[in-house]
Amino acid sequence: MFWRLVFQLLRGSRGRLAVAIIAIVSGAAVISALLNLDLGVQNKLTQEFRSLGANIVISPVSGAPAQISGAEVPSLMPEKDVVGVLQQLPSAQLAAAAPYLYIVARAQNIPVVVAGTWLDQSQKLDATWKVEGNWIASRDDNSRCLVGRNVARRLHLAVGNALELHYLDRSAHYSVAGIVDAGGTDDNQIFANLRAVQALANLPEQIGLAQVSVAGTAQVVADYAARLAAALPQYQVRPIRQVAEAEGALLGRIRLLIVSMVLLILILTALCVLGTMAALAMERRKDVGLMKSLGGSISRIVGIFLAEVGVLGAAGGLLGTILGAALSYWMGLRVFDTAIAPRWEVFPATIALMIVVTLTGALPLRMLGNVKPAEILRGE
Amino acid sequence: MFARLLGESFARNPRRKVLTAAALVIGMAVATATLTIALEVGDRLAREFRSLGANLLVTPESDTLPVEIGGVDYRPVDEGAYLNEADLGKLKAIFWRHNILGFTPFLDVPAYVSETGGATTLIGTWYRHEVPVPDGTKFETGASATHPWWKISGRWFRDGADECVIGSALAEKYPAALALGKAIHVAAGGVSEGGRSLVVTGIVSTGDAEDNAVLVPLSVAQEISGHPGKFRQVFVSALTKPADALAERGERAQTDMNIQLTPTEYDRWFCSPYISSIGFQISTVLPGTEVHAIRRVAETEGRILTRVGTLLWIVTLAALGAAALAVAATSATTVLERRAEIGVMKALGASNALVGGIFLAEQVLLAIAGGAIGFFVGAGLARFLGESVFGTPASPRLILFPVVLALAAIIAMIGSLVPLRRAAHFRPAVILRGE
Repeated sequence: MFWRLVFQLLRGSRGRLAVAIIAIVSGAAVISALLNLDLGVQNKLTQEFRSLGANIVISPVSGAPAQISGAEVPSLMPEKDVVGVLQQLPSAQLAAAAPYLYIVARAQNIPVVVAGTWLDQSQKLDATWKVEGNWIASRDDNSRCLVGRNVARRLHLAVGNALELHYLDRSAHYSVAGIVDAGGTDDNQIFANLRAVQALANLPEQIGLAQVSVAGTAQVVADYAARLAAALPQYQVRPIRQVAEAEGALLGRIRLLIVSMVLLILILTALCVLGTMAALAMERRKDVGLMKSLGGSISRIVGIFLAEVGVLGAAGGLLGTILGAALSYWMGLRVFDTAIAPRWEVFPATIALMIVVTLTGALPLRMLGNVKPAEILRGE
Repeated sequence: MFARLLGESFARNPRRKVLTAAALVIGMAVATATLTIALEVGDRLAREFRSLGANLLVTPESDTLPVEIGGVDYRPVDEGAYLNEADLGKLKAIFWRHNILGFTPFLDVPAYVSETGGATTLIGTWYRHEVPVPDGTKFETGASATHPWWKISGRWFRDGADECVIGSALAEKYPAALALGKAIHVAAGGVSEGGRSLVVTGIVSTGDAEDNAVLVPLSVAQEISGHPGKFRQVFVSALTKPADALAERGERAQTDMNIQLTPTEYDRWFCSPYISSIGFQISTVLPGTEVHAIRRVAETEGRILTRVGTLLWIVTLAALGAAALAVAATSATTVLERRAEIGVMKALGASNALVGGIFLAEQVLLAIAGGAIGFFVGAGLARFLGESVFGTPASPRLILFPVVLALAAIIAMIGSLVPLRRAAHFRPAVILRGE
């Protein structure tokens, strides 16, 4: 009986209900989309900051390397120490890592910095490089190298050319796989695989520094650096501060901005739904008059209306939340080029919020207690 | 007659009007606030991103390749080209001079420090230095502007004084010899003769190559190296606009002969603060230099700015949608509630046009009043938001005032149009009978 009354009521006043349902559904859609978006934003933006590349550098403690005039190398550390520790630490946060050995070799009798590294990692570690030609996909490819833009210009090198490097009495032959436009000091260097450079410099198993790119917030990076430092007490482990320092503050501001705007919209949407529900409730006075004159108790009547409103809120909320998840999926594609996955916690939160808001909107029903059936039925 | 009917309608049920107006005020306030913030956020965030430090690097057109490892140039002092310190003021004379927030010249000198008994790198730079600008004013700049993440314990050297700041890693290695207040003796190259005595005023931690070097005022490094008035490279921090297709074309047109910009395109490129156009303008006032965007910084900044910009416009759109919804729902409810009135009017012979006209006029009047109040509330809200997010209040945009008013009027009209169209089909008799 109770539920039959509820559904009768729902079916009876389609015009007004349509307005209320549209309000509830679109309200829930906006709210759930924005909640999804807000939860996803921090993640996505942190990823953007990570595109800055390496954020931790491991190097030998010793102070400035001696002046290197031609053939000397700055202070070194054994490769297996560093690589071993990197393999031991949990790999979940580790986006990329590579050891580096810098030597000053001569090419066409011009001194040039040659960096020996794992070239398969450089695409991740140096995400901002633009390479004309090809990246080198394997760290065992000892016949090809990447050449910085300025080096290529100075040595008149093009992709595919041969390049001979001299170091003391040894020499190595490469073909140029790609020309790197790095927009930084990397433009002045030649990049080859670590093994080959170690062989050229006769420094087997030695590296000058290691670069590590850790994914996650500034806090995660700092924690990872601290763990590395604890595992490698004999070396210097320093997070690259330029980004870490700015990141937190910037993210905080962007987040605050979005949260405050979302909050505004949330309040507005809630108010809108509230207003519509209140209007709907007031319209029900006539039905109340009828029910009362037929002998319905006031608590039962109010119960019926609350059930009606609650069903509306729950159904509209559910529909709206699904719509909102789709909306935030689209927003993610539009803004970050990757979808924002809907968060499960948004569903109950939005639906609960909609039910609360609709029930609050039905508060004027309290006044129904004072309704005098005779007056209402007389049409006043 | 029309006006009287309208006046009557307002006078008779003020409470309902207040409700509608309240929805309008709140809706339009949110719309104004989000629009104001969205219009301003690009500039604000771009400024915030300058906390990442310099985004342009100016070096001499390279005659020799810099032999640079870990940020330290190992070329002997007599090799390679230098730039003139006297020209630096010209950086503040380019078209986008106000977007140049700071610049810092660097001169790396291989040096010998007697106290550590070893070779070290001397980095000559500015911390806070007054540069004469061609227009006769002074501009104070230095590492404080371009390298904001450098942390000092103690204090920075005074400009031009016989003082130095020690990199933290170096100071850790020689805690006794390189402590605060100690005097150290520094000479150029690998020799211990000549040189100068400098007082240590601070220990700097940069998280980069400078941690292993001795930082001195630029003029001191110039004297020690025997290159007065010269430096090797200058870092520039410029306020830029994220790169788009035009910026990329403009940049490529500088090097690639095949790409030609039309004169209008060129003007638009030159007059937009893209990093490529600012770099181009710098290279024209400092001939013989190469200007590189520090892509690591510039690209991340551009990408995040673009993304946050799009994000905010979407959020603004959502706000506008929510505002429209609130207003339209209220308007629709108003019309529905007044079916009886419509019935009476029609029974007395009012045409559909007259009934619709009265209701629409009423909604528009309400919308304009509500929109106006909403605009000012929203401006205040934006001020508050700007204050709490960026530390400075967002200034109200008067241009938004007519926009918001029009928006309110249009939404209110649309909101009442649908129920009014239905009202046109009401049969007065049915309504008056109370069904």
